[in-house]
Amino acid sequence: MKRVFQHPPESPTGKHYWRGLGELSDTPEFRQWLEREFPPGASELNGDEWSRRDFLKLMGASMALAGVGLTSCRKPEMHLVPFTKNVEWTIPGKFLYYATAMPRRTGAIPLFATTVDGRPIKLEGNPLHPASGGATDTFVQASILDLYDPSRSRRFVHKGKTSNPNDFDAYIGTLRNTLGSQQGDGLAFLVGETHSPTRYRLRAELEKTFPSMRWCVYEPLLSQEQITAAQSAFGAGTRLVPKLDRADVILALDSDFLDCGQGDLESVRAFTSRRRVKAAADNMNRLYVVENRFTLTGAMADHRLRCPASQIASFAHALAKKILTGTNDAGLDGVIGNLQTAGGGTTFDEQWLSEAANDLLTKPGASLVLAGPNQPIAVQLLVCAINAALKNLGQTLIVRQVPHNPRTIDISQLASDINDGGIKRLFILGGDPVYNAKRGLVQDRQTKLPLDWADLQKKVPEVVRLGYHEDATSALSHWHIPLAHYLESWGDALTSGGDYLSLQPMILPLFGGLSEIELLNALLGGPKTEGPELVQETFRATNPPGDFQTAWSRFLHDGFASHVQPHDQTSAFNANEVGAQLPSQWTLPAAPTPDSPEVVLTASYEMDDGRYANNGWLQELPDPITKLTWDNAALMSPAYGKKVGVQTGDLIQITINEKSAGAEPIKRELVIAALVSPGHVDNSITIPLGYARKMPQFYELPYAGGDLKERPGIEEQSGFNGYFLRTAANPHFAVVGGKGIESVKVSKVGRTYPFSITQEQFSIEGRGLVREATLEGYRANNEFAKKIPGEDELPHPPPSIYAHPPLDAPQQWGMSIDLNVCTGCSACVIACQSENNIPIVGKLQVAHGRIMHWLRIDRYYASRKPFDQDRGDWPENPEVVHQPMPCQHCENAPCETVCPVNATVHSEDGLNVMAYNRCVGTRYCSNNCPFKVRRFNYFDYNQRPVGKRRVAGAFNIYEEYFAPLTSKGAPDIIKMQKNPNVTVRMRGVMEKCTFCVQRIEEAKIAALARAGASADKRIPRDSFTSACAQACPTGAIVFGDIKDAESGVSKMKQQDRNYRLLDYLNVVARTSYLARIRNPNPKMPDAENIGVASLVEKVPE
Amino acid sequence: MANFFPRWTNWVPIKLIVCGIVLVCGLTGATWYYVTPKYTKVRYQPIQPVPFPHDIHVTQLGMDCRYCHSFVEMAAQSNVPNTQTCMNCHTQVQKDNPKLEPVRASWKTGEPINWVWIHRTVDYVYYNHAAHVNRGISCFSCHGPVNHMPVVYQAKPHSMGWCLECHRHPENHLRPEDQVFNLDWKPDDVKPAEFVSKYGQPRDTHEDFAKRKKLTQTEIGETLKERWNINPPTNCQGCHR
Repeated sequence: MKRVFQHPPESPTGKHYWRGLGELSDTPEFRQWLEREFPPGASELNGDEWSRRDFLKLMGASMALAGVGLTSCRKPEMHLVPFTKNVEWTIPGKFLYYATAMPRRTGAIPLFATTVDGRPIKLEGNPLHPASGGATDTFVQASILDLYDPSRSRRFVHKGKTSNPNDFDAYIGTLRNTLGSQQGDGLAFLVGETHSPTRYRLRAELEKTFPSMRWCVYEPLLSQEQITAAQSAFGAGTRLVPKLDRADVILALDSDFLDCGQGDLESVRAFTSRRRVKAAADNMNRLYVVENRFTLTGAMADHRLRCPASQIASFAHALAKKILTGTNDAGLDGVIGNLQTAGGGTTFDEQWLSEAANDLLTKPGASLVLAGPNQPIAVQLLVCAINAALKNLGQTLIVRQVPHNPRTIDISQLASDINDGGIKRLFILGGDPVYNAKRGLVQDRQTKLPLDWADLQKKVPEVVRLGYHEDATSALSHWHIPLAHYLESWGDALTSGGDYLSLQPMILPLFGGLSEIELLNALLGGPKTEGPELVQETFRATNPPGDFQTAWSRFLHDGFASHVQPHDQTSAFNANEVGAQLPSQWTLPAAPTPDSPEVVLTASYEMDDGRYANNGWLQELPDPITKLTWDNAALMSPAYGKKVGVQTGDLIQITINEKSAGAEPIKRELVIAALVSPGHVDNSITIPLGYARKMPQFYELPYAGGDLKERPGIEEQSGFNGYFLRTAANPHFAVVGGKGIESVKVSKVGRTYPFSITQEQFSIEGRGLVREATLEGYRANNEFAKKIPGEDELPHPPPSIYAHPPLDAPQQWGMSIDLNVCTGCSACVIACQSENNIPIVGKLQVAHGRIMHWLRIDRYYASRKPFDQDRGDWPENPEVVHQPMPCQHCENAPCETVCPVNATVHSEDGLNVMAYNRCVGTRYCSNNCPFKVRRFNYFDYNQRPVGKRRVAGAFNIYEEYFAPLTSKGAPDIIKMQKNPNVTVRMRGVMEKCTFCVQRIEEAKIAALARAGASADKRIPRDSFTSACAQACPTGAIVFGDIKDAESGVSKMKQQDRNYRLLDYLNVVARTSYLARIRNPNPKMPDAENIGVASLVEKVPE
Repeated sequence: MANFFPRWTNWVPIKLIVCGIVLVCGLTGATWYYVTPKYTKVRYQPIQPVPFPHDIHVTQLGMDCRYCHSFVEMAAQSNVPNTQTCMNCHTQVQKDNPKLEPVRASWKTGEPINWVWIHRTVDYVYYNHAAHVNRGISCFSCHGPVNHMPVVYQAKPHSMGWCLECHRHPENHLRPEDQVFNLDWKPDDVKPAEFVSKYGQPRDTHEDFAKRKKLTQTEIGETLKERWNINPPTNCQGCHR
């Protein structure tokens, strides 16, 4: 008898949770897509031009050949190769953990590196460090793959020819002598931001030796505006550190502080600590967000206002006036007293603005207004003044002292020095300025045309580049030196809060690279070191208490030095200085219109500034909001897309005309594919940066930008280079009225571009998967999450007709995911990929729905009001809910009953286990999985090349389709990253989340070894966790023993917000969720629409 | 109409059927015997770069397994000794023996010795030594009488069925924890009174083991299994991850 399961009926008033515009409009194509187990093409061999028939022909030939070539049946001899001498601490096959840190432009992140047999394989946050508490993000998790990047730089290059370290040493020796006699005249350094005290020290020494040298720090995405504003408001060497755990009301103006790449993990943790609701009586903070595009912060918002990025200034000004009325603060009055708003500027919802301001005013000293890094200095200063007026300084906003060297110049200064011919020798350490420097840095003297970095770099007689890849910058340098990865070098760094961290190498440089401090030391003529001497010297200067060696060992062991504490500045807000400075900075462009939109350039969640361009994990990570992989796109709102006649995938040309002092106006163009993104503001286009960076193996690929005619193979590229539009005058957004911008035009090219979006794949219709309520609603009915509308009318859950193995093990594993603190950042996805040897499948395969991530994050748009898509009536301002979706480990697992070979079965501790070596690849299990969390390995992704084109006769086919004939075996450097405790799965095998069974078994075995000749083989409570839970920066995912009532996961599951997915099907999932709570302000105009989408039947229209 | 086929052809179908049956049975039997680890793995005895005699080192000289396989109680893999371990003694003993030339060469050059791998489990099996030797399973159970082998060979099939046999009935292999590395241990060596005073006896036995002259392996195993709460996994995840 076939059982037909019944689901609750769709709400009669319309859809409330939807995953993408395709689903929302419910087209026949989408229905067809949805009703298949895997997307069309996923189960067929022909990706492009091949048919099953062709394959069989080919296979016939291969089989015949195989018979001819049958070799001897002798058992292959394999070897066991021990060390010659014992290596300290090393036990073959056992993990060793070392503390280290990842240097980042916003401050280093303390880490624990897992090494096995001398190779680092996994990174975790350092739980000993109090401020970060073991948090990590996507970039930390993915950086381990960069270490094993096959195309990283492996050689010293001099003028395009392979050189060697000795020649470079000789060159440095000569250079040092020459420079010494000239006082370092003409010497310049262009470096990234690493916050390394040792580098500060070496730089100071260099400045002593070469007094006229120049030192320029350039980070494309580090906000110079924030740094400058803090310095003018609070004095040199200061930085503002938000304390979000102390703030009850937060207003973010274009500030994506929950993006770990831009902000810091400490803020993310502090913010979510105030959103943990254990019971109905608990309080939550409230977040208002004003932004032009959906960001992670916007997705967490209680109230979100869409506003063009160029009009944030206008909003800030209006807000400042409201705050001034409320506080009568003299400083704020002085600051905005002589400011005028531009006539005809954008108007805002008056009620929204005044109620948000009132909410801030009710919490003086416990509120916080944040301005994003892309906002101009004027907005930053205004926001400082607002915070001062709200008495937040010293409370929710700390002014912290940071190391400061007034001699640091910025890249525009360096560019004009080069243009003047003042730079003879340039050291570029890290970065890739040819790719990501702002365009139009200086004006050429003769032609009066703006110059880009590439032109400038050619003017320098000697350029030495220390780089991780031989990239576009290296190609224009005289020397290229391979840079060591941070896991290969000694170092130190400061966190965003100013804590002092140690970096120690996990492995010797794989390809003989140098670290920055080694290169600086060589230039200083210091003795060559391979050890920690340089860092030790810096550490000694901090006067560690007690014996130096003990203190040093402790520093390395803990990963941080607790005797070095950051200093907070008590100096008051300098209102007079700011008030005097502000009018000159104040420009307020007119509101963008459909004919003249604004173009906003932001950091991408995957590529950062382009430094991860060669990282396959990050390329394939779906963007948290758009779910786009392998690409960036021009994001625009549905309404604006309709107005300009553009749909997702259409190529558009963006043209920015600049006025120039010279003869001809400058035209900057970019051809880019559009992506319609709900929740985006109208008349605005967002382009994430960091894509289409020219990397060694992509050299043959076309380069985005310029004329389309020159770029024939656009379908094969990955991403578009937004830096082409990023100028020194307008680095963050281009809008008419901005510095020197005459017009911004958008036109359709008339071609389309293939995107690989995971958004609508593996879709589950609205069946109470996401449940949310407002804080008030939760207090009124704390059981709201238990049932979904329509569940009562369903027939009683059918009893299971199969015999199930007893769940009688002493531990029963389970997981709980708190949707209220999940920001959707995707660190868990990469952590899972890193822990479980999950392969990269490539853009084409993602498009076919073959992405292999065991853990995906579903992004739902939510809207309360029904709408009529036939009239083109889209919800303008939806909410976003993120839901991490691993295998649910159902106790009555539907997948198990359909496996013909018992490859997926239940264990007595409640895991739905998968025996790869038994699986024959019928895929019935995936067909029967209601959550679509099973993944099938179609093309031996771990062993064979994917995503590369190969021309075969008349065909132009991707290499994976030649699978039996392509060379098998991954390069050794790729194998080095693999976790030895997890099987590397082959083709034809189903795989899925195992709850990190290798960690469970490791813990069990450790308990057995401890037990020895005794009966006590208990695993200590919460002594280990799954990779996703360990990586989560907010502690949203908790894993553990659900049989133990005191374990972390049991305590989560005991909360009243706890619910299981598809409970009415009686699948009895082991993973459960805690419903989302939003905290809207009842006085706000949109309050009644917030957080009610899942309860919509109960709310009258 | 004349007979097209001669008379003997009447027997052809029957002969063919009989031959077929014999062939199929033979093939099945041959596969059963020749293509299982019992045949392909057991007695695998390759030539090692250094003819290390376990019998001399263990039985004659009385060395413990853990002198060389030093991490067997801590790690999944039982490590092969590194050259340094060999040279601890062989800088003094047999220091000119030509058979030890590869060891000395390795010590001098730093190039490791490539021992031929005998007991190889496939990559998707995660066997863990520590979990076994700490819980009363002797080396002998899987590796046989290594202490009497002049040249090591594989003694047991190490097939999945063979593993499960013990995981289902661990009492057939459990022994007191201090006898794990004594490969010559026999159940008869156990003094029942001493054993019972130390480990007790299974709850559901009515007979007093202490008064017995001898204990069988099963009785010893049952006692230890209950006392130590031995409950080996028989589901997939125990060994496959």
